Amino acid sequence: MFTYIWHKEIKGALYTWKSMLWLLISSLLFSVTCYLLLTNKELSLLDQTELLWLLGKVIIGVALLIVNVDASSSITTEFEKETAESIFLSPISLTDFILGKLLASLTLWFAIFAVSIPYILVASAGSHLAIPFLAYTAFLGTLGVLGLVFLVFAISLFFRSSKNTLTTSLIILLGLSIPAVFSTTLKNDVVSQIISRANPIDNIFSSLDNVLVDYQTSLLQNWQFILPLVVFFLLTFTALLFAMHQFQKQGVIRNE
Amino acid sequence: MNMTKIFITTSIGIASLLFAFAVNAQTINLPPSLSIQILSQNTLSGVAGDFVNVQGQITNTGTTTLTDVTTYLSLVDTGTKLPVDLEDWSAEKGLYIGSIDTKQTLPLSWKIHFVKAGTYSLIIIAEVGSNQIPQVSTITHFDVAAKKNLNPGQVLPVALGTPIILLFLLFILSYRRKVDE
Repeated sequence: MFTYIWHKEIKGALYTWKSMLWLLISSLLFSVTCYLLLTNKELSLLDQTELLWLLGKVIIGVALLIVNVDASSSITTEFEKETAESIFLSPISLTDFILGKLLASLTLWFAIFAVSIPYILVASAGSHLAIPFLAYTAFLGTLGVLGLVFLVFAISLFFRSSKNTLTTSLIILLGLSIPAVFSTTLKNDVVSQIISRANPIDNIFSSLDNVLVDYQTSLLQNWQFILPLVVFFLLTFTALLFAMHQFQKQGVIRNE
Repeated sequence: MNMTKIFITTSIGIASLLFAFAVNAQTINLPPSLSIQILSQNTLSGVAGDFVNVQGQITNTGTTTLTDVTTYLSLVDTGTKLPVDLEDWSAEKGLYIGSIDTKQTLPLSWKIHFVKAGTYSLIIIAEVGSNQIPQVSTITHFDVAAKKNLNPGQVLPVALGTPIILLFLLFILSYRRKVDE
């Protein structure tokens, strides 16, 4: 049954101007970033690896923001438009409902990733890094997006309001993103290093740095960044399971 | 009486001198009994972006086992006469060897990525924990040619083409939706 929800979401969202416009805007952002970086003829190869890293950060950052906003309204609109009751009266289980919504959010991520492929290929021309760049952006992005969507869905089931979910999830995303863009000199103390180790966005960016700038392309050479991402994924998944359990206990119509 | 005084003074002087020599001998060490041989070519050439392997071997030429041995690289830009930060040039800046038995030879290998055009000189330095003086290898020269691969002509079709294709797809999907309805 989850495919029904998934198809409904895709038809309702991706076929409208709103969601496709996001893709167009993200494409324009990638165009501007790529053009500004690549038209500098004086850039050496060192700068090329750094521009690849910057482009990777822009792609994943834009994707996380768009998926975050989309996922924040995906479940909560069903409550605000009062369609949740009719959905749960039909033979659709909560798991199917969440799975369908999750697939819709993942589809949006894969659409953004597909748009970024030409930029990745043109930016990494001559550096032998196109395949690792594509592979790691897809892998790290998918792990990050999954963890974030689980968290946003858990918040959605808790708040059941778009405004509160969006505000909370954006604050969380900002809270994770701001320390991730700090330079390494600002992360010399123990507290910053612990936050940096635990922060999923920091780990995504550090792994991209490891692959693109330091040429450490095997999974074994990146496990120290992938492991915290997997932990984040498992923690948010547990939070979603807990939120689903609470939701089933409270019912569709919650007595406040 | 005077002779005794002179003898005592001279003895103390000689003893002080011997002590001073002994202290000096402890602070000014000799380099460790290590030999670093470079097995790769004396000059390595390539284009920025290429990878080369600097290979060598380290031998304990002494009669005792050396412990806490570390080897690392030092790279100098011979054009600017300035040392180069090895960040991006090599993922492994240093190799910790630990102990080397007497007459034992161990291989050394560094994968170097030519990052920027120019001429460079590289040496391998070996330090033994207790020794104040390091042992160095002979110089390996790098001759790196520039590579101009950032062609703005490549990016323009993508930067302009992708949003245009997306806009076109947007219209088609929107039109099909209207037709379906």
